[in-house]
Amino acid sequence: MSSTPLLVCEGLKKHFPVRKGLLVERTRDWVRAVDDVSFEVHEGETLGLVGESGSGKSTTGYCVIRLLDLTAGKIWFNGREISGLRGEQLRQLRREMQIVFQDPYASLNPRMTVGDIVAEPLVVHDIGTRRSRQATVRQLLDVVGFDPSYVNRYPHEFSGGQRQRIGIARALALNPRLIICDEPVSALDVSIQAQILNLLKDLQRDFALSYLFIAHDLAVVRTMSDRIAVMNRGKIVEMGLAHDVYENPQDEYTKALLAAVPVPDPVRMRERKVERRRLRHALAEPI
Amino acid sequence: MSSTEERQTDFEVALVHAAEASHLHDAGAALRRSSLWRDALYRFTSNRAAIIAAVAFLMMVGFVVLGPIVDRADPYAVNFGIAYQSPSWSHPFGTDEFGRDLFVRTALGGRLSIEIGLAATVAIMLIGILYGSISGFLGGWVDNALMRFLDTLYGLPYLPFAILTLAIFGVVNFWTMVVALTVASWFTTARVMRGQIISLKENDYVRAARAVGARWQRILFRHLLPNTLGVIIVFVFLELPGVVLGEAFLSFIGLGINPPKASWGSLAEDGYTAYNTHPYIIIIPSICIAWLILSAFFVADGLRDALDPRTRETKEG
Amino acid sequence: MALLEVDDLRTHFFTREGVVHAVDGVSFSVETGKTLGIVGESGSGKSVTALSIMGLIPRPPARIVSGSVVFDGRDLTKLSEKSLEDIRGSQIAMIFQDPMTSLNPTLTIGTQITETIRRHHGLSRDQARNRAAELLEEVHIPNARQRLDDYPHRYSGGMRQRVMIAIAISCNPRLLIADEPTTALDVTVQAGILDLLDELRTEHQMAMILITHDMGVVAEAADDVAVMYAGQIVEHASSEDIFNRPEHPYTEALLGALPHLESENVRNERLTAIPGRPPDLVNPPSACRFAARCVYANLGDSCTTVPPELREIRPGHLVRSAHPASERAGHREEVGAR
Repeated sequence: MSSTPLLVCEGLKKHFPVRKGLLVERTRDWVRAVDDVSFEVHEGETLGLVGESGSGKSTTGYCVIRLLDLTAGKIWFNGREISGLRGEQLRQLRREMQIVFQDPYASLNPRMTVGDIVAEPLVVHDIGTRRSRQATVRQLLDVVGFDPSYVNRYPHEFSGGQRQRIGIARALALNPRLIICDEPVSALDVSIQAQILNLLKDLQRDFALSYLFIAHDLAVVRTMSDRIAVMNRGKIVEMGLAHDVYENPQDEYTKALLAAVPVPDPVRMRERKVERRRLRHALAEPI
Repeated sequence: MSSTEERQTDFEVALVHAAEASHLHDAGAALRRSSLWRDALYRFTSNRAAIIAAVAFLMMVGFVVLGPIVDRADPYAVNFGIAYQSPSWSHPFGTDEFGRDLFVRTALGGRLSIEIGLAATVAIMLIGILYGSISGFLGGWVDNALMRFLDTLYGLPYLPFAILTLAIFGVVNFWTMVVALTVASWFTTARVMRGQIISLKENDYVRAARAVGARWQRILFRHLLPNTLGVIIVFVFLELPGVVLGEAFLSFIGLGINPPKASWGSLAEDGYTAYNTHPYIIIIPSICIAWLILSAFFVADGLRDALDPRTRETKEG
Repeated sequence: MALLEVDDLRTHFFTREGVVHAVDGVSFSVETGKTLGIVGESGSGKSVTALSIMGLIPRPPARIVSGSVVFDGRDLTKLSEKSLEDIRGSQIAMIFQDPMTSLNPTLTIGTQITETIRRHHGLSRDQARNRAAELLEEVHIPNARQRLDDYPHRYSGGMRQRVMIAIAISCNPRLLIADEPTTALDVTVQAGILDLLDELRTEHQMAMILITHDMGVVAEAADDVAVMYAGQIVEHASSEDIFNRPEHPYTEALLGALPHLESENVRNERLTAIPGRPPDLVNPPSACRFAARCVYANLGDSCTTVPPELREIRPGHLVRSAHPASERAGHREEVGAR
């Protein structure tokens, strides 16, 4: 086990231009979606990235996996700087880092069979033969709890939770070291959510994975993460061990966020309501 | 390199292990067995107007294909003795000024009109899809440039340009007619395809393909274009009537395919002079044209409703 | 007498794939000044129940096939559309999940509020405008008077939901039905909305039905809780009882599936996952609908042959199960140890 972290991000910035103008579009302003974000993910651990909508957490994830180009900042993966990789080198990097998307209804091509979807990573990187790929696909589906006999069906024949399993199988196919989970359970019902979270925990153990776990649900993030970073308006406002951040938050926003989360315990809820009233100013809604 | 191989072996071992120990299939059974095409077919057949239109369209196609086989009259046989006869049992559509049987001539004319129409439609679709896909897929300044250019082309009047093209070719045959009709008709298709590609590009499954390392060819041909199939099919039925009408018009003003070959437009032109005394000669091809156009439009409309992938999915487990 | 009494309500959807038994025998009552939380996952029938009460189900393909909805002594299922329209907005108001689409983007906020007020109270334009400003202040929108002339796109999600609430309470309804009012909102905004609803409920002496999939929301805002599964109510009790002494295996599993915000060994514990998926509502199981996924269901038991009735296991606590927690020998320890 090396002491170098698997993933190091330093000073990440992603600014989106706001173009306005009559005849020629000029860049008038910038949306600072990610504004100087730095963190590390160690091998075998889960870093939870939590924040509300507009906090920049998903954008950060997309930047790490190079689906978006950075405006500024550097990323090191496995000791190697990857911020400027292009072309074939970038393609090779894809084998080490994968992503699970939020919306199970949009992340699978409706015109491809389940088998083709899960096999795609293998096909793209020319791994194995047709026969060996078929076998691998069946094993992957098995591992995520999805009946492999459905290999020739189409995504629309399955529910959200089932589709999410297909997406996870796809992410696993290349044997990545790091998987970015972008709100993987936000679109799912509670009982199915539990299935998927358990699955992700099992996979982490069985395949020595590291996760960058992005979510807005604090309880979900808590159950998955070793360390947590809280984001607000493009910046990380607090970062530390999960236990510390939740039990002993330092930042006002973190405190307000924790106080706002509804907890399934009526007695505790009353106590938390009182806490919330105190922190009212930090909870001020955007106009 | 051996560490990569090691990792791969570890992976395969882990895969087998985990597969054996897995909480087998607690994802549950599939929701339903259904096919997207079958759902679309059902939606189409529940649409009364669309069914009537489809039947009408097929009737017309049947007429032009089977008509000359059923009625054995020679479309070129000149026989002044039976010229200008009104529709009767032996000549269901009557005869023209040369005594030629109009039933057969109308059917054959239909074949020509529809063949030209189909060829032009295919050409329009190919050019439109190519232009629109490149523009939408590449985006950025390429997209800007291509669209600005398209905007200026939009100003071109369709028929004068068709006429101009024919004049440049100097001769009117099947292929020059197809080119003339295509030249200024592909703009809308290009624009729509571009729009489709741009909106499809935003889908997570395209991002997923990129995240996996797929190259642009795979993304375009495996992920984007197949999902535009519905739109393309609808457009075929929208463009066809337009070009058929265009060909008819050009023939009517004398720029059609040379006699004795006939298309609906040239048949109408023949009947123009005799309108007062023998109106059927112009009325019949006109009705055929209108029939085809209307039925194709309503089929397109029905197809659009049937193929619209408006997912009525709700949040579920 | 309760303000609203729903008795054996059944709403079915007649589709070409078959008859979907979306709501299949639901009964409950709501008292003035209290909040009933209806909690369930997708497909449980909770939203359809709410829409059925308001008479807002799409007809076709849906239809209330039997049952009654008695509001203030009148059975709403028997009323004409015109009578229902008079009741909607003025006596019973409803707010929906997505404030983005509930407001007309081409009309100012002021117009949309005054429209409702003038329809039910016949006020003049100025009177209505004053009332609208008052309402916006009541829902804590700053600079209320100026903001009347803004269009919806200038409001954030939470603000829009407050506007929806303002419109809903504008005619002083006796009952407010909130269908997933906070699901589309950030958690900090959500807290504000729930606080607001609570405040308004006490001030206006309204009854409230709060529909949600979020157990935390229900813990915060509801006095009584009804848990729905596959079109039926499987447990109905006070909020404290549901959380501290759940009886139905589904309720227990649901609570176990929730990741805990405040607990110790969270990282390494497994969440209670319910295997499989909810049953097909076109052909619902004839006996217990949860049996296929229930850890306590045994073959040869009544679970798969006899449909369990909703019975009172304790005063004020109803459950629909052959194996409720307090009747399971040896399982008492498990429940207590949680």
